[in-house]
Order: sequence, then structure tokens, then C-alpha cells
Amino acid sequence: MNKTANVVIIGGGISGCSIAYNLAKKGVKNIVVIEKQYLASGSTGRCGAGIRMQWGTERNCLLAKLSTEFYENANEELEVVHDIEFKQGGYLIVAATEKEVEQFKKNVALQNSLGIPTVYLSPKEAKEIIPHMDESKILGATFCPKDGHLNPFYTTEAFAIAAKRLGVEFMTYTTVTGITTKNGKVTGVHTDKGYISTPIIVNAAGGYSKIIGQMAGVDVPIYAQRHQILVTEPVEPLQDPMYMSFALNIYCQQTPHGSFIMGRGDDNEPTDMRITSSWQFMEEMAKTCCELLPLLSKLRVIRQWAGLYTMTEDAHPIYGGVKELEGFYLACGFSGHGFMLGPATGLLMAETILGETTTIDISNLDKDRFERGELILEPSVV
Amino acid sequence: MLERTGIPTKAEIESITPSDERRRKGPVAVIECFQKIPCNPCYTSCKFGAIREFKDINERPVLDFDKCTGCGICVVNCPGLAIFIIDETYSDTEALVKIPYEFVPLPYEGIFVTALNREGKPICRAKVVKVQNAKFQDKTPVVSLAVPKEYSMEVRFFNIDDYFSDSTYICRCEELTLGELRELIRMGYRTLDEIKRISRAGMGPCQGRTCRQLIMQELAKATGQKMEEMPMTTFRPPVKAIKLGALTGGVDNE
Repeated sequence: MNKTANVVIIGGGISGCSIAYNLAKKGVKNIVVIEKQYLASGSTGRCGAGIRMQWGTERNCLLAKLSTEFYENANEELEVVHDIEFKQGGYLIVAATEKEVEQFKKNVALQNSLGIPTVYLSPKEAKEIIPHMDESKILGATFCPKDGHLNPFYTTEAFAIAAKRLGVEFMTYTTVTGITTKNGKVTGVHTDKGYISTPIIVNAAGGYSKIIGQMAGVDVPIYAQRHQILVTEPVEPLQDPMYMSFALNIYCQQTPHGSFIMGRGDDNEPTDMRITSSWQFMEEMAKTCCELLPLLSKLRVIRQWAGLYTMTEDAHPIYGGVKELEGFYLACGFSGHGFMLGPATGLLMAETILGETTTIDISNLDKDRFERGELILEPSVV
Repeated sequence: MLERTGIPTKAEIESITPSDERRRKGPVAVIECFQKIPCNPCYTSCKFGAIREFKDINERPVLDFDKCTGCGICVVNCPGLAIFIIDETYSDTEALVKIPYEFVPLPYEGIFVTALNREGKPICRAKVVKVQNAKFQDKTPVVSLAVPKEYSMEVRFFNIDDYFSDSTYICRCEELTLGELRELIRMGYRTLDEIKRISRAGMGPCQGRTCRQLIMQELAKATGQKMEEMPMTTFRPPVKAIKLGALTGGVDNE
């Protein structure tokens, strides 16, 4: 079954669905989203489900702020079937080293200058917010009450249903097998369900973005790395904000559902696309959690899983077109925060594709910044 | 017979059956209105003049099969739910039977139901191809069933066979009811993994040991797939819920 589309978006996660919705909202017709499995089956559905505006660079702060403000009104804007479960319980990011203290004070100043209401707290003040923490392990903390959590499945579903209402077609369980080009321009996409001719392709394939790039002859400077998470049984509400530490390597949040979700990074995690679970993670995670949040040692773990961070060298996403192939756009390399940036990704990519002035300047988030050596290093990533 | 049982006789059915030739041409209305009732919305609703003008409102409708396009407008306008559309051109082996259905819950598209004849006896399994419930239908939904061609003049109703109720809990850990599960299937979620992710069913302390087969059964019923051929979800560690403190030592797991 062959057909024609104005835009083909590869990837049915938060980014692809949000881009589709924003393009359709701006009047673009005949948009097709291709997803290998089902919507949110990849990194979106495997993420830690947090959203924060506390970043160390202006660019990431602005992207996250735009997204947070969107999520505050998303139930109405997207006319959702299921509430997206946005809970703004805040993020408490603890400083465990002198270097972090110094950096966090700079971060707070930057965030405040951009209208993000973060405050710097002493260990004692931090303990008032999360009483069950061991404050002797920390030197200080920053807290932004507007940060929080939302349900990745319902959020992706909400974008997809809103996009469908505007005429977007979703092809799930469809695999992209090739990309065709002619004279330096995109001409179409081969899939296991037929060929789609199109002048515009958006690569929003998460961990598979590099492979999709290769199909188009575009080298995308990213790599996928496994990250693991565990979840506990649901209990009564006892921790409002996300607890996070870069130096101590943990993020831990209670969802509105009552379960605690926690994860950590590990430089030794494989980069071969595998998403199996390891016992080492469970052990390390339990150790870190019991040390920093001793009360949680009584909670039962019921499940662990893994997903892919699509990493760039500077932990900022890659947005926009590429000079070597007209009509080929990238929205990838989110380095573990693609879900929270979903609304910004959709809006800014739609504006870029339509040649409009973007709401936030993303010209320096293009792929070629790595060749130019113009990295925007983000100091705050788990 | 009709007065006593509500079941028309063979002769009555034959008197309103479109010819084989007409049936081979495409969809057509079958008006099974056998009583003189003061009622004429079928006539007033037909835009093609296919139903003869009523001289007396008590007359029974007379359909001109050649003028009828099988559009189905009379089906939703008949207060007696006595009109059906049959389409024997639906596929090589199957006919479509469109049935007015004023009951809840409505079946969802894609599920299989037991098709019944005019006596309420089971005839065959049939797939619900379409459920139309637009505003202009004024609360008379129309259910399209795909049935073997030879039953196009037999199948007139169906049974959504089930002994669970919508309030039955399917996933006890995450409290998903059968009604909620069916709503998700109706929305288009068609695999165990999709249902699990969107509803959390199977993500509770029992890790799907209770609900997995129940959800699969319902999905099988809805999609016509065999349970043994349906994709499973990933089995994830730990096998049994374990306290974080027991993993590090020091806390008893009980």
C-alpha cells in the first residue's frame, strides 16, 4: 500500500506525537506518524516521568519552562480522555559537594533571572520539605515548587488523540526500512507496510535516531545508553517532591499513584541498545536509596525496567534541519529528558519546519554545533 | 403466529425478500414490517422515493428495490426497529447485515459476537465491522455484522456473550474493571502490553499473575486472535516483591 504525505514523522513517543499535534494545529494536512511498536513503547514509556525547570543552562531552562507551562494547562488544551496526572510537588536537588554548592548557587541565579522560582536551602530547610531524608549526607539543596511528575502514557495518548482529531494518521506496528533521497532532498520512506512519498521527514526515533539517520545518509552524533529504574508498591502520600542528586547519583519520586519511582545513572551501562534489567542496578539503587532516604528501606520493590537515554556530547537535544539533506529534520538526543521537553519539542520543531520564527531561539541546537565545537555543556544530568 | 411470538412466517419473509439479482448489485433495505400500524417515517425519511407514498398511514410500506440505494436512513427512522440493510457484495464469502440496536452497552468495532436469527437462536459467529451512532441517528445506533453470505436473510440480532459484568475486577492490584478494560479496547488498545502500560494492570504486586490471562481472554474475544498466538508482556524482576532494606541487608522482608 503506497501513499503520499506532506510530513512523515518517525517515532511515536512524546516528541513525535507532540510535533504531529503542533504541525496539524498550524494547519498542515496529511501528516503520518510511523511507530515501530505502539505509542510511548520506547523511551517515553520507560522514563522516570519527572519534569523540572532546574537546569544549568539558559537553553535547557527555557525549554523546560515552556513545557511546564504547557503541561499546567494540557488537560484543557488537548481535551484529554485520561487526566495526564500532572503533580507539581517540586524537585529538591541536593548538593553533596562544595563544587555542587557553588554550581547550584549559580544555577539558582540563572533560573531566577528566567522567571523560574527556585530557592537555595540549607540542609535543615531541605529536611522540612522531605522529613525522611538523612540531611547529614548533604551540604545544601535547591527547590523549585513548580517541578513535578506526569504520566507518560496518558500524556502521549493526549497528544496523539488531539493530533488524530486534527487529521493526523498514526501507523503503529510499522517499521521504517529505508529512506529515499534525490538531489540532496528527501523523497520518501520505505516501511514494511509500503512506501510513503514525502518531502519532509522528522527523525524523532529516540534511541533509534542514529539508525534512522544512517538510512538517510546523515550521521547523527548521538549514542543510546541503557538507564534503569525501579518502582515500589504504592503507599500513602509521604513525599511530595522529587529527591535528586547528581553527585550521589539518585532520583526518587513518589507518583500520584503512590508508588516510588527511582533511578540512577552508571557510566558502565551498555550502549548496544539492550534494555534488559541487571541485578547490579537493583543492588546499587537499594543501597543509595536506603542511605539517603532511610525510611524507604521498608518499601517493597515490585518491578524494575530499563530504557534508552539518547545522549549527545553536551546533554542538550538536537533540533532542526541538516545542511546535507533538505527536508530531513532531527528532534533527538534528549539525553534523558525528552519526555519533559515534549511540548517545547513539538512547538519549536513545527515552527522550524514551517520556517517561522521560533518561540525560543534554537538555532544553536542544530546538529552542526558539534562540528563547530559550539557545545552548550549542561552540568545537571543524572 | 406473528401476533403470538413476534416471529414472522416463512411466507411473510419471502414476500419482502429482495431478488437474488438485486442482492448481487449491492446494499439494499429489507423492511420486516408485517403489521398495519399507523406509522410512516420510513416513507418520509427516504430521499430516493424508494418507499411508495402512503395513501393511508396504516398501510404497510412497499419498497421499490431498484430505487433503494441501501443508504440506511430508514433503518434509524423506523420506530419499530423493523428495517435492516443487507449487503451481499461486502466480500466474496460474507454479507454485511446492518442492525438497529437500541441497547447498552454497545459492542465495539472488531469484536466477535454470536449472531441470532429472528427466533433468537444462535446462527453463527459474526464480526462487528462497524458501530454507527451519529447525532442524526437520534439514539438508534446501527451495528454492522459480517456474516457468511447464506445467512444474510437469517441474522437479525446478536448476543454479546459474557458472564462477567462491567464492574468485575480484572486486575485486583491496580483495580481495573472489565468495563474499563473494554473501554480501553474500544479506544484502540489491542495488545496486553498496551493495556498494561496505559492502565497499570499487571504492574501491581502480583505482577500480572491474576489479570494476565483475563485480559488476554478479553482481547482474544475482541480481536479474534488466539490466546496462544498473542504477544505477552515482558516478565520483569524481581520475581517476588522485596523490601529495599532487605536487598541491602538489615531489614527483614516480612
